[in-house]
Amino acid sequence: MNITTLAFAAFMVIVIAGYRLLPSRFRNIWLLAACLGFLLTWAWQFAVFLLIIGTVNYFLGRWLGAAKERRKHILWIGIAFNIFVLLIFKYSDFYIPQFSAVLVRLGIDTSSEGLRLLMPIGLSFTVVQLISYLTDVYKQILQPEKRWLEFNIYVLYFPKLISGPIERARLFIPRLDQPPSLTTDAIGRSFALIVIGLVRKLLFANVLSALLPAAAFTQPLNYSAQMLLLWLLAYAFMIYNDFAGYTSIVRGVSGLLGIELTSNFNTPYFSRSVAEFWERWHISLTNWLRDYIFFPLSRLLRRKFPNPEHIINFVLPPLVTMLVSGMWHGLSVNLLLWGGLHGAYMIIERIPTLWSPKVQMDERPKWQQASARLFTFTLVVAAWLPFRMDFITAKRYFAGIILPSHWLKMDFLWMSEVFKGRLPVGDVYAWNIPDPRVLLVLIPAILLDWVQYRNKDELIFLRWPRWVRAALLAFVTLSLLLVSFADSAAPFVYQGF
Amino acid sequence: MTDINLGNRDGIESPARKHAIRGLGVTLLQTVAFFLLFAVLLEGLARTSLVRELLPYMTFGSWHYQLDLKWLLLKQYVAENGGMDVIVVGNSLVDTGVVPEVIAQTYFEKTGVKLRVFNFGIGGLTVSPTSENAKLLVDTYHPALLIFVTEMRDYDATNGIRTETKYLSDSWMQYQMGNFNPKGWLVDHSVTLQHYLPYRNWMRNDFPSTFASYLGTYHATSATGYEGDLAELTADKIPNPSTSDSNPYFSSSQPYQIDPTRLVCLGTILDLARNGGTRIIVVEMPVHPMFFEFAGGKAIHEAFKEKIAETVRSGGGIFLPATEEVAIPLDGRANLTHLNWKGAPIFSAYLGARLAGLTSQDGMMFISKQNEGGQR
Repeated sequence: MNITTLAFAAFMVIVIAGYRLLPSRFRNIWLLAACLGFLLTWAWQFAVFLLIIGTVNYFLGRWLGAAKERRKHILWIGIAFNIFVLLIFKYSDFYIPQFSAVLVRLGIDTSSEGLRLLMPIGLSFTVVQLISYLTDVYKQILQPEKRWLEFNIYVLYFPKLISGPIERARLFIPRLDQPPSLTTDAIGRSFALIVIGLVRKLLFANVLSALLPAAAFTQPLNYSAQMLLLWLLAYAFMIYNDFAGYTSIVRGVSGLLGIELTSNFNTPYFSRSVAEFWERWHISLTNWLRDYIFFPLSRLLRRKFPNPEHIINFVLPPLVTMLVSGMWHGLSVNLLLWGGLHGAYMIIERIPTLWSPKVQMDERPKWQQASARLFTFTLVVAAWLPFRMDFITAKRYFAGIILPSHWLKMDFLWMSEVFKGRLPVGDVYAWNIPDPRVLLVLIPAILLDWVQYRNKDELIFLRWPRWVRAALLAFVTLSLLLVSFADSAAPFVYQGF
Repeated sequence: MTDINLGNRDGIESPARKHAIRGLGVTLLQTVAFFLLFAVLLEGLARTSLVRELLPYMTFGSWHYQLDLKWLLLKQYVAENGGMDVIVVGNSLVDTGVVPEVIAQTYFEKTGVKLRVFNFGIGGLTVSPTSENAKLLVDTYHPALLIFVTEMRDYDATNGIRTETKYLSDSWMQYQMGNFNPKGWLVDHSVTLQHYLPYRNWMRNDFPSTFASYLGTYHATSATGYEGDLAELTADKIPNPSTSDSNPYFSSSQPYQIDPTRLVCLGTILDLARNGGTRIIVVEMPVHPMFFEFAGGKAIHEAFKEKIAETVRSGGGIFLPATEEVAIPLDGRANLTHLNWKGAPIFSAYLGARLAGLTSQDGMMFISKQNEGGQR
């Protein structure tokens, strides 16, 4: 069930009504039933599988909590189990074809389709949450959850299941015990989050996704530099609005149930350094990586190399953390490169601090901040190339932008002849004119972020006069209606992780 | 911050709760009011001549843009001519093979009566979706005569299923077929949407080329629904089943058979005559003889003709099989099935003459009763 459909809206009405009307002792049963119901709309195997994973981790947590010795072993068993599950399903594309080939050679006729279908949705998100749970229990930051029902709601909670945010059990589970009261503020905030999310997903991300020609990302050298540049910007805003839109919708939906979810994005493209970018982009993953990879690794290295400026201490923690981030997105060279690039950016950014004290960005002149913003944005956008395509194609795409010979003359004459009906349309890309439709979407998308960034409030709209809000909402509804008449819709980009 | 415990079922309505809900309600009402205001403003603007001139293309956003085009052209034609006498339905063979002006002219020359004829041929349709078109057209325009131009593939069970499914599942088409749905209703009633829908895929990267092909069809189609085909079949290009690797016309894995469910659809078309003043004529398209070789030979074609003739007869219609009377030269064909701009007038003149024959010999009149007071 796609969360931008009317079917999901109807499903939510039923879930919220049940959750609020049932006596408190039945509420969590109802919530788990809703989670399972949501999963059943995808495949019953997902529900069974995730329930098994949840139950295994539930018992692992209890075992870890009760154990007096060999606790570290239990923790590693748990981590290994979760990573094994992830490897089995997520990276099946690597080994299933070979496995199938072996079976065929043995005379067993099999299709890899069935195996691939079993890849449960949001497994990467589930696995990192479970690892954090076991680690927190091991560190005794968290008592093992004794209630199977609540623990499995934490694992299967449908708003965050597909694409996060990645929640910590110690923060999430207590919210299930709170009485489900709603404030007018919470209702307003939840609806605003849903509307902003729908705008980001349906008006920005889906439209940009439809505007991007697939061939540009497979044969970039067939296009002029100015077109490639605009499409790369479109891709950057598409992936951001797709994911941020999704998170915004699920936060709003969960807010209506009275269960607050972590904010995952905070206008990341206005960051003034790559380190700041990661504090604003996919925040729940960044926090997870910081707490479970960066800090433990830094502490481990500091024990071996006490000098904080030792090259190992300086380079390894950010690089390894970002490589893990790349691997979490998928086991491929290009995603490792993407993570590696971000790691390298962060290392280079820190180099000046080796000889001069760090000056806070807020204290720097405005022009320096603006330049830093532009520079960071350029670096981040360039890194999307290996995220989107294989290394060779990314290299070609990059060359296509920076080589002066690819900045081709724009043929406005040809275009005007077509508009006058004197020439057939033919290949519009041969005009070398960047697609103006991209700008039509990019400008409002940037404007939305700018308003949120300037006011340091993602829901600044709620402070606007009532009639302005109503007019804006009416305009958004009308726009959504018009866009809904298009012939196809794109799936969430982050759904595959 | 006001707390609204929606789970509170004690029946006590606190003033704060009432106030908070009223606040949300006011915002919602204002939103609806603004939405209606925007919609009314846009609708008013869309109905001005300025917008009509700026955005001349209108559609219902259906999957098959030729349906939109023909429906709007027909509507325009009826508005300009005060009604409709003869509508020709079928697939692309009709679209490119029937010139309404030639039918009307031939008929006029032989009877002195001027008919208003429209070509409602839509590419890719078999008898099944065509029967739905026929129902819609008869219900809406009450023509005196409905001509269904058919050929063997109309009754092949494996032919045109995907097109039919997509064509008939369209919201606007469903609404026209009497199955109410909000989207269909909205599209049917909103001129704003009808102006917007040709551009509805503006965000797709293939939009410039698809829109260009839509415009191409729009400009190539006459006010009476005829779209001329410029392609020309030459002797060296005639495909032959004995030398062809595959059968492009029929499912080659099985011998040709008439699908009984498709015959029911033909019956549906014939039944339209029972409800009122519309007469039904079923005409076989004069395809190239080699086409029948792909169907399995002349005998199979003869059996087909017999079955169709029998069905049409029992349904109270008139069947005009393709005979050698319609001599289409090779250069009058675009391929084995379609006529081109040279062949279409020959076939249309034949149709006009046959209608005139039916009028003079059998006294059949093809002027719509509703339109008798029209401009004649």
